[in-house]
Amino acid sequence: MGKRAQSILLVFAAGTAAWVLLMLHSVLIPFVPVPQYLDEIAPVLPLWLLVAFGAYSLASIGYALVTFGDCPEAYMSLLKEINEAKTDLKRRGVQID
Amino acid sequence: MAPKGQHKYSVLLPTYNERENLPIITWMLVKAFKDNELDFEIIIIDDASPDGTLEIAKQLQAAFGADRIVLRPRAGKLGLGTAYIHGIEHATGDYVFIMDADMSHHPKFIPDFIKKQKEGNFDVVTGTRYALGGGVHGWDLRRKLTSRVANFLADTLLTPGVSDLTGSFRLYKKPVLEAMIRATKSKGYVFQMEMMVRARQMNFTIGEVPITFVDRVFGESKLGAAEIVGYLKGLITLAMDI
Ligand SMILES: Nc1nc2c(ncn2[C@@H]2O[C@H](COP(=O)(O)OP(=O)(O)O)[C@@H](O)[C@H]2O)c(=O)[nH]1
Ligand SMILES: [Mg+2]
Repeated sequence: MGKRAQSILLVFAAGTAAWVLLMLHSVLIPFVPVPQYLDEIAPVLPLWLLVAFGAYSLASIGYALVTFGDCPEAYMSLLKEINEAKTDLKRRGVQID
Repeated sequence: MAPKGQHKYSVLLPTYNERENLPIITWMLVKAFKDNELDFEIIIIDDASPDGTLEIAKQLQAAFGADRIVLRPRAGKLGLGTAYIHGIEHATGDYVFIMDADMSHHPKFIPDFIKKQKEGNFDVVTGTRYALGGGVHGWDLRRKLTSRVANFLADTLLTPGVSDLTGSFRLYKKPVLEAMIRATKSKGYVFQMEMMVRARQMNFTIGEVPITFVDRVFGESKLGAAEIVGYLKGLITLAMDI
């Protein structure tokens, strides 16, 4: 495994540990005060992250797709050049079929 | 022709069943180099194409000269990665262009690559279809989507900082290309991506120029389910390796 895979794994493990700590804070760290809204969002946090990443992926692929550049003029000029090339190549004794 | 400056550009042109495309791409290459007064050679690496591409290559050599058209045929279809290695072994230029022979990559961009390379003394200059001034012609929605998803996955997993990872129209300093090929293990479509990733790892500098890409006019492109599966496998292997 390379360095990148290791650091991704590390981040994932750290995130999971932090989430477990948050979920079980009343048992694991009862002396630390945790605001109530964190208790409310904690259970859905992993799902939320997953959905957010999915939405980001779809949005960026979709945007890239919509803005995909076309170049019809490059095609037209290529066709012209192909003809020019064929004529000259025949003159030079290259077989064109 | 009196070449300007002391540089020589070797073009590696791998061919497999490019009988129709090879003469025209060669003609356009010769024109681009001569118009810009550059010293060059075109190395054709044909893998025993059944359509007789090699025979046409020999005619091209007779027409343009053995110093300009160099033939490095191989006995069988051994794949693209090794074709580059085979071609570079005999390259006499100090700079090397890699491009496809199917006319998707147009030689008219060669001066842009060279200008860019000189601007930043870049080790590698890569053509990008996805920058302002670039573009693709002749792809349907499915092909565009495939390309975008492929690029998105590669970008996310590899973060190479290059906008067109799967493109393969590039200019290299020759020793840089040799070092990069030695470090690259993948095959197929992933080969070109890994080259960029290794370039970053080895701290080579990379410049980008916009290019237009016209899907092949003659012959069939080979993108199918097998290539897509191969790409995904290769991408994951590479992501685990870096
Ligand atoms: N020598 C050699 N050239 C190949 C081989 N496979 C593909 N090519 C050439 O590599 C270039 C890119 O191939 P192409 O089929 O256009 O790939 P695509 O554009 O990704 O669909 C073309 O010039 C082909 O003729 C091979 O096995 N050996
Ligand atoms: Mg092609």
